[in-house]
Amino acid sequence: MAAELTLRDVTLRFGGISVLDRVSFSVAAGHIFGLVGPNGAGKTSLFNCISGHYRPSAGSILVDEVETVNAPAWRMAKLGLARTFQHPALRLDATVLENVLLGAHSWLPGGPLSWSLRLPPTGKVERSARAEAVGLLERTGLAWAADVPADELSHGLHKGIELCRALLSHPRLLLLDEPAAGLSHGEVERFIETIRGVREDFDLTVVIVEHHMGLISALTDRVVVLDHGAKLMEGTAAEAQADPRVIEAYLGKEVTDDEPA
Amino acid sequence: MEKLLARRSVRLVALAVFAVVLVVAPLVSSPFINYQLALIAVFAVALLGVNIVMGYTGQVSLGQSAFLGLGAYIAAYGVKNGWPLLLVLVLCAVLPAAVGMLVALAAARLRGLALAMITIALPIIGIPLARRFSDFTGGSGGATVSFMKAPDWSGLANDQWRYYVVLVIAVVAFLLARNLVRGRVGRAFAIVKENEAVALAMGVSPYRYKVLAFTIASLLGGVAGFSYLVVVQFTSPETLSFFTSINLVAAMVIGGSASIAGTILGAIYFVVVPVLAGAVNSARTALISGAILLAVLFLLPRGLASLPRRVRQLSARKSHGRTGATAPHNSPDGASSAAPPEIPEIPAANEERQAR
Repeated sequence: MAAELTLRDVTLRFGGISVLDRVSFSVAAGHIFGLVGPNGAGKTSLFNCISGHYRPSAGSILVDEVETVNAPAWRMAKLGLARTFQHPALRLDATVLENVLLGAHSWLPGGPLSWSLRLPPTGKVERSARAEAVGLLERTGLAWAADVPADELSHGLHKGIELCRALLSHPRLLLLDEPAAGLSHGEVERFIETIRGVREDFDLTVVIVEHHMGLISALTDRVVVLDHGAKLMEGTAAEAQADPRVIEAYLGKEVTDDEPA
Repeated sequence: MEKLLARRSVRLVALAVFAVVLVVAPLVSSPFINYQLALIAVFAVALLGVNIVMGYTGQVSLGQSAFLGLGAYIAAYGVKNGWPLLLVLVLCAVLPAAVGMLVALAAARLRGLALAMITIALPIIGIPLARRFSDFTGGSGGATVSFMKAPDWSGLANDQWRYYVVLVIAVVAFLLARNLVRGRVGRAFAIVKENEAVALAMGVSPYRYKVLAFTIASLLGGVAGFSYLVVVQFTSPETLSFFTSINLVAAMVIGGSASIAGTILGAIYFVVVPVLAGAVNSARTALISGAILLAVLFLLPRGLASLPRRVRQLSARKSHGRTGATAPHNSPDGASSAAPPEIPEIPAANEERQAR
């Protein structure tokens, strides 16, 4: 069941520095939603607010009408939220499969006692988690690497592993932080296909922070453009690319003679 | 696949040989050797605790000896008052675990040096406390007990019987710990060590899992204290000595952090090296132990448990010429059904890659 995400007046200040200024928008269930803007616009900060890693100074964030601003970040996985990171953060010494299996943490049952005794029911859920993890790796073309230590693989493959890890947590809302950064052209193409596929098959809402405008145009239903921590505009990717305010935010104002020196 | 099978069967055979040696060894050895073997089983359990909190979860703990001493004192008190031994063992697990959890509830909010300081404080406070409460502990003179004698039906000497008792305790502790670190909880420990932001994103509370790791370590420390009393039949404030904690940490690094086999190797190092060094030159024990520590760290920075891996690396390097680091993996001989993945060259100028 895809989740709906609503932000109302989300404000974030670090000391005297205002990072986000009353940002509001909502993401319909099942949409792929882009969050764009120049470097330093506050995209990742906003992301961290949604995922619970930062606590907004004011405002509210609702996942399916449930207020999440005060929930600790580690509870968000239970609410159906999963995210990836700008720089894939994997355990490099562990195998790909072990890395992906972490995603099952939020729904695997049992505490330290049942996992140390490893009684048959615990063994059974672990095996089902493994089977599901392998299925996700097959889907992203990584099944061959399941038993390879992560540090022997390339950056592009790390991004795929991280996506599998996030998907294994059975998310209803998936946050992707710059998924195309550092990917080759072919990898971006395949990534777009993968995201479209998982949105259909797993019934997800997806929010993407990205610089890669090609990816944003190809994938998103709607975008919000941020600049200097405030919402600049909201619309489709094509509207955003045509909007003079957006062009100005990215490229700066045209120099004219009327400007005071 | 054949390679994997071969490796697995080799492992099974090695494990079977190891088990036979563990069972037969005390029957053919002198009481002195049996005493050393039993001590290895004692300190292996304490070391397992250190490894869970430091090796697997990445939290500094320099206070394990305090829990070892606490367990030994609880055992001595219980034995002197004639409590059933099973109850004493349970208390030796539960009470240190409770103390460890209380300390961790406060300390797990800290990290790095601050955390190290708190854990150092435990043995440093514990020793005067042990001297002070002499009704409970026997004061500076310590507490001597006489229990766990070999029953007549067994036909064993006391040293053999006690070895088997502590061996069973160690085997149970290791089996449970092995299960724990290989499943859901172990993965949570590992990600808390690696990256707390990712832990949070995946539904793992770093705080809770740090407290859990400390609690388990304290529990194992207390159980090791019980085993210690079984073998040594005596405990004193010296059992809590801070140097024991430091040596346990050194033994963990020597054996291999975040490794079950490494924990066993570390315990062997912990017990055997001082004895050997003493046999070589009793006036230079510390010097010789230190030299061995440096030599192991220089040759095997990831501990003795990494020896097979290191040998494989070196032999691979020899056969491939000096290419150095392992090359990126490719799809294994077309066996997989998926299209062979392309492995892109990451441009060296990609700053975002390098930042991580």
